[in-house]
Amino acid sequence: MNKIFYPKLALTNLKKNADTYVPYILTCIGSIIAFYTMISFYGNKGLDEMPGSINLKTILFLGTIVIGIFSTIFLFYTNSFLIKRRKKELGLYSILGMEKKHIARVLFYETVVVTIVSLTLGLLGGILIGKLLYLLLLKLLHFTTPIQFYIDGRGLLITAGIFLAIFFLTLLTNFLQVKMANPINLLKGGEQGEKEPKSSWIVTLFGIISLGIGYGIALTVKSPIEAILLFFVAVIFVIIGTYALFTSGSIALLKVLKKNKSFYYQSRNFISVSGMIYRMKQNAVGLANICILSTMVLVTISTTVSLYVGQENMMRDQYHFDMLFVGENTGNDEALVDESIQKTAEQTGVNPIDQINLRLGNLTAFLEGDHFMPDLVAKEDKDTNYYTTKTDVWLIPLEDYNKMSDTATALNENEVMIFSVGDNYNQKTMTFGDRSFSVKENLQTFPLNNKKTELVGKTCYIIVKDEGVIADIQNNLYPDNTSKSLLFGKFFNLEGNDETKLAFSENVFQQVEGINPDIDKASYYVSLTEWYSIFGGFLFLGVFLGTLFMMATVLIIYFKQISEGYEDRDRFEIMQKVGMDKAEVKKTIGKQILMVFFLPLAGATIHVAFAFRVMAKMLAAFRLTDTGLILICTIVVTLIYALIYALVYWWTAKAYYKLVK
Amino acid sequence: MSLLEVKSLQKIYTTRFGGNQVQALSNVSFSVENGEYLAIMGESGSGKTTLLNILASLDKPTGGEVFLDGNNIVKIKDSEISAFRRDNLGFVFQDFNLLDTFSIQDNIFLPLVLSQKPYEEMNKRLKPLSKKLGIDEILAKYPYEISGGQKQRTAVARALITNPKLILADEPTGALDSKAAMNLLKIFSEINEAGQTILMVTHSIAAASHAKRVLFIKDGEIYNQIYRGSMNNDEMYQKISMTLTVLATGGVKGE
Repeated sequence: MNKIFYPKLALTNLKKNADTYVPYILTCIGSIIAFYTMISFYGNKGLDEMPGSINLKTILFLGTIVIGIFSTIFLFYTNSFLIKRRKKELGLYSILGMEKKHIARVLFYETVVVTIVSLTLGLLGGILIGKLLYLLLLKLLHFTTPIQFYIDGRGLLITAGIFLAIFFLTLLTNFLQVKMANPINLLKGGEQGEKEPKSSWIVTLFGIISLGIGYGIALTVKSPIEAILLFFVAVIFVIIGTYALFTSGSIALLKVLKKNKSFYYQSRNFISVSGMIYRMKQNAVGLANICILSTMVLVTISTTVSLYVGQENMMRDQYHFDMLFVGENTGNDEALVDESIQKTAEQTGVNPIDQINLRLGNLTAFLEGDHFMPDLVAKEDKDTNYYTTKTDVWLIPLEDYNKMSDTATALNENEVMIFSVGDNYNQKTMTFGDRSFSVKENLQTFPLNNKKTELVGKTCYIIVKDEGVIADIQNNLYPDNTSKSLLFGKFFNLEGNDETKLAFSENVFQQVEGINPDIDKASYYVSLTEWYSIFGGFLFLGVFLGTLFMMATVLIIYFKQISEGYEDRDRFEIMQKVGMDKAEVKKTIGKQILMVFFLPLAGATIHVAFAFRVMAKMLAAFRLTDTGLILICTIVVTLIYALIYALVYWWTAKAYYKLVK
Repeated sequence: MSLLEVKSLQKIYTTRFGGNQVQALSNVSFSVENGEYLAIMGESGSGKTTLLNILASLDKPTGGEVFLDGNNIVKIKDSEISAFRRDNLGFVFQDFNLLDTFSIQDNIFLPLVLSQKPYEEMNKRLKPLSKKLGIDEILAKYPYEISGGQKQRTAVARALITNPKLILADEPTGALDSKAAMNLLKIFSEINEAGQTILMVTHSIAAASHAKRVLFIKDGEIYNQIYRGSMNNDEMYQKISMTLTVLATGGVKGE
C-alpha cells in the first residue's frame, strides 16, 4: 500500500491545485514545443539547400539558445510561485506526522507526473506544431521546393534531456525549501508579515537618470551604425531604469500622495493609495518583468514585420539595376561575359534590357575638405571606423556618361562633374595628389545609382574628360600602385517572369565565375532570395519569440492575479465588516488591479515610442528607410498586442473575482 | 425606550441542497438599555455568533425583529446597510481584523474616511481617544509591528471613533494573553462608565464578570440572566461559573 500511497497523494495534490498546476504544465508544454521546434529546424537538412541557409541557421541557432535560457528562467519562476502557494499545505502534512523525507517523496512523484505529462504532450505537440510551423516558415522564406519534414530524433533527445535537467533542478530547489523550513514556517509561509515597503529616493533618482540616459541615447542616435552599437547600451539603461522606477519610484510617488492629507483621506483615495503601495511592493519586480517582456515583444515583432514587409522596396534601393558586372578591362573577359549573357538569354527567354556598358576607374580615398587623400590603411587595420569614413570613388569618362544619360555635356581637362550619394559634394574644387579640378556641376540624378544615403561610408561618381584623366588621377593618388587598370561595367535589367529571372541570374553567375572569379557580380533576384531567407527567418523568429514572451506575460499576469486574489480575500472581508459595502469594495479593488496590470503595458508603449527612432535607424542599416512603413507596422503591432493583453487581463480578472467572492 | 430591542428572533440555516435544516436561534427576545454593559455567554454552537451577526446587520434573521434606537435594522435596504453599520455600530473582533496595508492611525480612521469626514475632525477625535487607550505612541506603526493587546486596543479605538450607539464585541479577549485581556476589560469598563453601551459575546468568565448583566444562551434560546446589582467582579465570577455549571449539567430553564 505504501508504494501506491505516495504517487496517489501526489496525483490528488495536483488535481486539488489544478488552478495553478494546469497553467504551469501548459507553460512546460509550451516551452518544450517551442524548444523542440527551434532545434528541429536548426537540424533540418532540407533547409540547407536553400540559398542563404547559413544565415537562417545562425538565426535559428540563436533562437534555440534564447528559448532554452528563457524557458529555464521562466519555469523556475513559476515553480517557485507554486511552491510558495503550497507551503501551508506542506506544513499541514508535516504537522500530521509526515517526515520531511515523506514530503520529499510526494514532491518527487508530483514532479514525475508533471515531467511525464509535459514531455509527452510537449514533444508530440512539438512534432505536430513543428510541422505546421515548418510549412509557415517555408512560406515566409518564399521557398517553394517541397522538402520532406521529418521527426528530428536528435532534437527530441536534446529537448528531453534539457527539460529533464530543468525539472530535476526545480525538484531540488523544492527539496531545499522543504528542508530549510520548519512546520510552523511552512504553515505560515503564505502569510509572512509584510513590511512597509521602503522607497529610496536615491534608487528612484537613479532610475530616472538611467531611463533618461537610455531615452537620451535613443533620441540622439544619428547613424545606423551608431544605432546598432548603442542600442544595447540604451536597452540596458532602460531596463535598469524600469526596474528602479517600478520598485522604488512607484512607491515614492504613492508616498507623496499619502503625505498630502486632504488627498489621502478621501474615501476614494484612502484605500486605493495604501492598497497600491502594498501591491507595488509585492508586484513591482513582476510588473517590471512584464513591462520589459512586452517591450521586447513589441520591438522584435515590429522590426521584423517592417523588414519583411519592406524588403522588396529596400532591395530596389540597393540594386538600381537587376544585374551588374564589373571587371578588369583586360583580355577578353567582357566579350566572354557578353557572350554568356546572350546565350543564357536565348536559353531562358529572359531579355536583358536598359543595358549600360561603360569604362570606369575605381579607387578608395579619404575626403578631407576638397582633398581626396590616399587610402593607405593596412588590411588588418580596416575597422568600423575605416569603413564609415572612406569614400568609394568611381571615375567615369565623359563619353560614357553622355551615352548613358543621353546628354551632350562638354568638359575640359581640369573640369569634373560629380554625383555624390547622400549629401552633396559642397566644394568648388577637388584635388587628387597634385592634380586639381574645378567642379562644373553637382549632379542630382545619375543612371547608375540613387541619391539615398549609404549605410556605410560614402560613394561618389566623378565624371572626367576622358580615360587619360582617369589614369592621371589614379597615378597622382597612388604613385606606387601598379594595378591601376580601367574597368568595364555592365548594368542591365531583366525582362521575363520572376522565376526565370532568378534562373537566368544564377546561370550567368555560374558562367561568369568560370570566366574570371575576380569579376564583381550582383543580381537583384539572387540577393532577394537570400534576403528573403534572412528576413523570413527574422520574421519567423521574431513572431515565434514574440509569442513565447507573450505566453510568459500571460502566465505572469495569471499567477499574479491568483496570488492577489488569495490575499485580497481577507482584506475584502474586513473592509465589509468595518462598513464598506460590497459594490464599493469591488470597485476599489477592481480599479487597483486595472491600474497595476495596465501599468506595464503603458510603460512598454512609452519605451517603444522612445525606441522608435533607434528602431528606424537600425532598420536603415538594412536599407529600410521608409519611416512611414515602420511607423505603421509598429502601431499595428502595438495595437494588436494591447488587444491581446486586454483579453488576457479580462480572462485573469475573472479568475480573480472568483477567488475573492 | 430601550436602545436595542430584540423581539422573538429566529434563524434557521438550510444546507445548500435544501436537505437538513439547522435551527441556530429559535426564539430570542431581550433588550439593552442605554449605557448598559451586557455580556452574552454560551457554549460553542449555542447560537451566540449568529445572534451577533444579526445584530451587526451582517446576517438576516429568518423571523423576528431588531430595533436599534427605534429603527428596524432587519428592514434596512442592502444599499444603506453599510452606511448604517458605519454610523451606528462599532465592532471589536476576536482576531482584530486590522488591515495590514494601513498604519494604526489609518486603521482607526478607516470608518471616518468612509463617512467622508474632514481630516481635521478625524484628528481631533483621535487625539484623546488614542491617549485614553494608550496607543498614542504607536500610531505610525503597522499592525504586524505591535502586540496583540495593542492590536485589540486599536480595534477598540476604531470602533469608538465613530461615536457609535452600540459597541458589539465578539470574543474580544479570545486572542489575548491574560494581562492584555485584563487591560482590555478595564478599558471596556471605563468606556462603559463614560456612557458607552457595550454588547459583548464571550466564552470567558473573566470577561463576562466585568459586565453589568450576563445573558446565557443555550440551543438558540435565552436560558438565564444574571444582574450584577451590587456584586463585585469576584462575586460576579462565582455566580457566572455556577450558572455555567448548571447549564452544562442540563439544569431546568429559568432557574
